[in-house]
Amino acid sequence: MTSPGAMGGRVGRGSSRLPVSVLLLVLLPLLLMPLAAVFVFALKGGPSAFWDAIRSPEAQFALRFSLLIAFATTAVNAVLGTFTAYVLSKHRFPGDRALGVVVNLPVAIPTVVVGTSLLLLWGPIGLLGKVLVPLGLQPMFRPFGVLLAHLFVTFPYMLGAVKPVLDELETTYEEAAYTIGASRWTTFRLVLLPALRGGLITGALLTFAHSLGEFGATVMVSGNLRLKTQTAPLYIFAQFEAGDIAHANALAAVLALLSFAIFFFLFQYAGGTARRAR
Amino acid sequence: MSIVLEGLTKRFEGRAVVESVSLEIADGELFVLLGASGSGKSTVLRMIAGLTSSDGGKIELMGQDVTNLEPQRRGVGFVFQNYSIFQHMTAAKNIAFGLRIRGVSRRHRQQKSEELLDLVGLGGLGERYARELSGGQQQRVALARALAYEPKVLLLDEPFGALDVKIRTQLRRSFREIQQRLRLTTVLVTHDQEEAFEIADRIGVVERGRLIEVGKPEELYRAPGSLYAATFLGAGTVLQGRTREGRAEFGPLSLELPAGQQHEEGSPVRILIRPEQVELGDGASGEHRALGVGRVIESSFAGSLRRLRIRIPRLPRTRQISPPVPYGEEGQIVEAVMPASEAVPEEARITLKGWRVLEQPRPSLLVADPLPRQRPPVEAARPLAAGLNASIVVLGVSEADKPPDPLRERLKTEFENDADEIRMRVGEPAEQIRNEQAESFYDLVVLGPIGPKAIRSRTVRGLLREASTPLLFGESREHFGKVLICTAVGEPGKSDVRVGGWLAGRLGAKVTLLHVSRDASEPPRWIRAHLDQGVATLSAFDVQAEAAVRQAASPLEGILMEARKGDYDLVVIGSHGPRTRSVIGRDDVTIQILDNAKRPVLVVPEDSG
Repeated sequence: MTSPGAMGGRVGRGSSRLPVSVLLLVLLPLLLMPLAAVFVFALKGGPSAFWDAIRSPEAQFALRFSLLIAFATTAVNAVLGTFTAYVLSKHRFPGDRALGVVVNLPVAIPTVVVGTSLLLLWGPIGLLGKVLVPLGLQPMFRPFGVLLAHLFVTFPYMLGAVKPVLDELETTYEEAAYTIGASRWTTFRLVLLPALRGGLITGALLTFAHSLGEFGATVMVSGNLRLKTQTAPLYIFAQFEAGDIAHANALAAVLALLSFAIFFFLFQYAGGTARRAR
Repeated sequence: MSIVLEGLTKRFEGRAVVESVSLEIADGELFVLLGASGSGKSTVLRMIAGLTSSDGGKIELMGQDVTNLEPQRRGVGFVFQNYSIFQHMTAAKNIAFGLRIRGVSRRHRQQKSEELLDLVGLGGLGERYARELSGGQQQRVALARALAYEPKVLLLDEPFGALDVKIRTQLRRSFREIQQRLRLTTVLVTHDQEEAFEIADRIGVVERGRLIEVGKPEELYRAPGSLYAATFLGAGTVLQGRTREGRAEFGPLSLELPAGQQHEEGSPVRILIRPEQVELGDGASGEHRALGVGRVIESSFAGSLRRLRIRIPRLPRTRQISPPVPYGEEGQIVEAVMPASEAVPEEARITLKGWRVLEQPRPSLLVADPLPRQRPPVEAARPLAAGLNASIVVLGVSEADKPPDPLRERLKTEFENDADEIRMRVGEPAEQIRNEQAESFYDLVVLGPIGPKAIRSRTVRGLLREASTPLLFGESREHFGKVLICTAVGEPGKSDVRVGGWLAGRLGAKVTLLHVSRDASEPPRWIRAHLDQGVATLSAFDVQAEAAVRQAASPLEGILMEARKGDYDLVVIGSHGPRTRSVIGRDDVTIQILDNAKRPVLVVPEDSG
């Protein structure tokens, strides 16, 4: 018999494996089988069918459009989110706490509601739309509208990854830089930004991943126009509804792979920083 | 002058955390700002650096007014307690940071950072990151980083505070060496008295936002002026007595007041006795500087020395200030040292080899409500505080099962402008007032108006019986022009004359000494002599005084009648102390006077003068 201590606190060989089996039994239909199903179906017709499905112009557009929107969203929110985190973390002003709650709201609001509210603001009958549409400015049902929706929905991710790091970072680092003679901007660039690297990478990957998979808000504001505003998730849904399961599955598999890659990287990275911190 | 501060002030939420600090620091000097945490010393340093804005006053560095200059342009080096080494840069890059942003060439930067690494004793460690360096090494990097761009002055905020003792002493020494080699004007902030003594050219003691004393370490140790500096810098005994005929009296001990030190007659006077100024004899020698024979109650080994605490019998009319004596304990405690090699005696005769008379303390009033309603009578204390130039300490007492914070907050908002300090205790109000006045020093306790029922409560009577500080009852008057001194039994006693005289002297009031006799015949000669003596004592306080003899059926009636007829602003009566004289079924005379006088009444315990 081995003592529990020698096993590092884990239950060892001799004991029951029942809990592990139960967990696997629950997770199998809940998580693991659906993930496998995507790939099984995608490759059902053989590699050539899969390839053809990917190569169709609509699929190509949808994938490229999704990637473009995801990159743009990440770029804009990286700057905007970091700036927001900086202001919320370093400045005290009336209503700062309320603002802190508001900027995190997009996580809590159903994405379809976000889409609806954007339409009610920018759409032809919307508050701003009423004024702008006659001038020929109509962001809805256009790529820019999709970008707006994605910026809204993913806004909290960058903020959430960067602000805790900024909060933890003692102000004496900045103050040291100031007394040495560095301006605010130089201090931000040379002292704060490098310290935020971990948070920035995590935030960017989260933002990218969420943008890539966004559905609810996009379906409302894009109009789901083929070859114009159709993102990959919308394409998958449209193909599925039309009964073209093979096409839908092929792109779904690609999206899933991309997401896996991102999360694999995140896991590796997070593990790496945790090890270094120790 | 490298650094000149003039009336530097900082307020947070209306409260002054730094108040009118003025200071001149010479070129090459190492000046230490010493104070307890929260005293505002770091705020002063941060204002010099420009990291905190000032709300008043002026800062000059090298003759240039920098009061409103941003920190980047002040040319100071700053070292933080937490090192604040940039984590993503090597030690060498950290050090070269100041040169990098000044556009100095890479080659030059490298050369300079190597030079500085050698200076701070880290040669060869330039390529290490902060996480690869110990705390002491990181602080050396921080010092080198602050020196690299050749600042005009160096500022250090508790730089050794986060290090363990051995590293701290090492780093302290090498820092002092570097500072002297570079002859760089330096201000260092610390709460560590030992550290200040070791490295400072001069020390400035900061208490509650004020710079209260400045001097060389030896001067401040040997001859401090204030009580705070005396007790903060080193060990020692502080006793408080009163001045009498130009001498300081502590029971049987009568010491000469040093020339050039202002002490009003009758005012409290404090002496500091350092442990090494206490001579321990075997009881044979009888000198005039003897404090008496005491028992050793505590002895602790401290290397070559042994520190002793010796309890001596209570000196009359003397209060212990430091070390504090717990409430209820009799006697005075004196700190002393002896060679560790000798055996600790059980008893010793204590004589003084030296002492230091501290500056005359500002009178202080404790304002508190002895009833559970918690309404400290600050109104009643205000005119008296103004007349005496006294500080006001408000005491809040919260019930044991309630959190003290709401009460503290309420008192703070209500009395912020009047009170110099707000203190909190937990328990039964009258009992806690008794403890507070016994443990700290106050000249008066202001209790305000108390109804007839409350004053007969057990706790308030207990307070009256056991107080060691004069207690003031009743609504206050705006001015104190006439003071009546008598005791509850009708004739003035020593303590009431002294306390009343001191008060009247400071307030500029006239005093009547009252004796109440039961029959119309001329009072006996000893009464007359006693009154004359009282008048003489009062004239030594520069007080205009007269004696009065009134006839009445009882002292109580006589006192009340005279108080009403003369419309006195204050009646001073002695209390009986622990010996109660009340007749069963009737009230104490003191309580009857408090009930019926309809004017402020000061009850003076027997031994408080």
